[in-house]
Amino acid sequence: MSGNNANRRLKFEIFRYNPQDPDSTPHMQNFEIDELPYMSLFMALNEIREKHDPSLQFDFACRSAICGSCGMMVNGKPSLGCRTQTSDLPELIRLHPLPVFKLVGDLSVDTGIWFREMAEKSEAWIHAKEAFDPAAQEDRMDDETAQKIYDSDRCIECGCCVASCGVANVSGEFAGPAGLNRMARFSMDPRDTRDDADWFELISNEHGVFGCIGMMACHDICPKELPLLEVYAYLRRKALTTALK
Amino acid sequence: MKTTGAIDTAKRQLVYEVISGGTGLILALFMWGHMMFVGSILIGTFGFDWLALQLEIYFIAQPTVVVIFSLFLVHAALAARKIPAQLEERRKMIRLGRDLKSQAHEESLLWIWQVRTGMIVLVLGSFHLVLLGIDVLTPLFGERVGIESVTSLARVQAGLWLPYAVLLICVEFHASIGLYRLAVKWGVFSSLGRKTLRRIESFILWLFLGLGAVILLVLAGVIPPPLAFLATGGAA
Repeated sequence: MSGNNANRRLKFEIFRYNPQDPDSTPHMQNFEIDELPYMSLFMALNEIREKHDPSLQFDFACRSAICGSCGMMVNGKPSLGCRTQTSDLPELIRLHPLPVFKLVGDLSVDTGIWFREMAEKSEAWIHAKEAFDPAAQEDRMDDETAQKIYDSDRCIECGCCVASCGVANVSGEFAGPAGLNRMARFSMDPRDTRDDADWFELISNEHGVFGCIGMMACHDICPKELPLLEVYAYLRRKALTTALK
Repeated sequence: MKTTGAIDTAKRQLVYEVISGGTGLILALFMWGHMMFVGSILIGTFGFDWLALQLEIYFIAQPTVVVIFSLFLVHAALAARKIPAQLEERRKMIRLGRDLKSQAHEESLLWIWQVRTGMIVLVLGSFHLVLLGIDVLTPLFGERVGIESVTSLARVQAGLWLPYAVLLICVEFHASIGLYRLAVKWGVFSSLGRKTLRRIESFILWLFLGLGAVILLVLAGVIPPPLAFLATGGAA
C-alpha cells in the first residue's frame, strides 16, 4: 500500500509540551506540508522541524526500525515513525508521544527509565551459579532453543507494546508485554540457572503474566511482529505446570 | 527470591486465574445446555413442561440452580479483580480501546464491552437466577414446586421479555468473546490461528443469538412454536 501518491497536502496535529519550561502548557499545534513520494513520518517531521518549527522535539536514530527510538502515537496507534509511510495514513495525521513513559518534550519520551526498571524487576539477565570463565568453551545450545530465544530477543524496546497495553497504561507495577517477553526469553535459556520456584514467583503474579487481561493490542501493533500472545500462553502454562509438579 | 510469602502470593494468583477462567468456561458451556433446555419451548408448552419435570424429578434442576448461582458469583468476584478501580483509569482504557478500534484492532474495545456486558449480566442474571431458584425450590409461583410453562410465558408476556432480551444479548456476547479470549490466553487451539478462532467466536455468537431470539419470541407469544409438529403426545 505504501507508495507514491504524493499529491496530497498533509495536515499534522502535533502534541506540544515542554515539561522543562514552566510557561509551556500541553496543546496541539497544526502544521501543513506537501506529501513527497515514499515519505515516512521521519521525513515529514524533519521537514516540519526544518521549515516550520525548529523547536519541535522527536527522536530518531537508525531510520530502519532497529533502534526503537521513534515510537509515537500515530492517529491513536503506537507506531514507529521511521517505518510508517504517510501514504498509509489519511491526510490528517495526529501525533502524540507514547503514554506510560516519561515525557521529555513534544513527541520525545524516555523509554529507558521504564525499561531499566522492568529489567531490574524481571531480573532480565542470565543467572549463573558459576563465575564466567572467558577462556572456557561455551556450552552448546540446540537450534530450536536458540531460535526461540532469538525470536524473543528481536525486541527493540521501542515501547509500542507498552503504550498499547491497557494494564500498563494504568498500573506502573505491571511487567508489561516487553517485560513478559524478557521473562520468557530468560526462562527458555538453558544457561540461566534459576529454578522452577524462582520462575513461578516471578511469572505467576498480578504484576506478571496474570496481570495481562488479554486485550491483544501489544501483539497486533508490535513493529517487529513478535509472537507475544504465544509468549504469554507459554508463561501461563509454565506457571500452571510448575504449580502442578 | 523464593520467599514463602511470595510463593504463596504466586500460588494464589494462579488459583484466581484458573478459577476465573474455569468458572467462565463452565458457565459458557452451561449456557449452551441452557439454550437447549429452554429451546424445548420451540416444540410447545408440552415439550417445555415435560423436560422441566424430568429435570426436577431426577433432582438435576435443584442442585444446578444452586451450583450455577455459586459459580456465577465466584466468576463475577474473580473476573472483576481485573477491572481498574479508578474512574480515570477506566476512561484511559476506553480511550485507548476506541483509538485502537479506529486502527483495525478490535480486541481492546471488546474487552471493555466484555466488562460492561458482564456488569449487566451480573444484575439481570442474578434476578433471573433468584426467580428460577424460587420456581425450582418453592411453590410460590404457579401451581406446583418447579418450572412451569404457564408461569414462564405469563412473566415474559407481562414485560420480562425486555430484560430477558438484554440479558440474552449480553450473555451471548460476554460468553463468546470470553471463550475466544480464554483460548488465546492459554494457547488452546492456537494452531487454528486467531482469525479462525474469531470466526468460530462470531459463528457461536450469532447462532445462539438467533436461537435465543426465536425462543424469546415464542415465549413472548409473538410467534407460535415452530417445531410444534414434533409434539405427537400433547398440545402445542
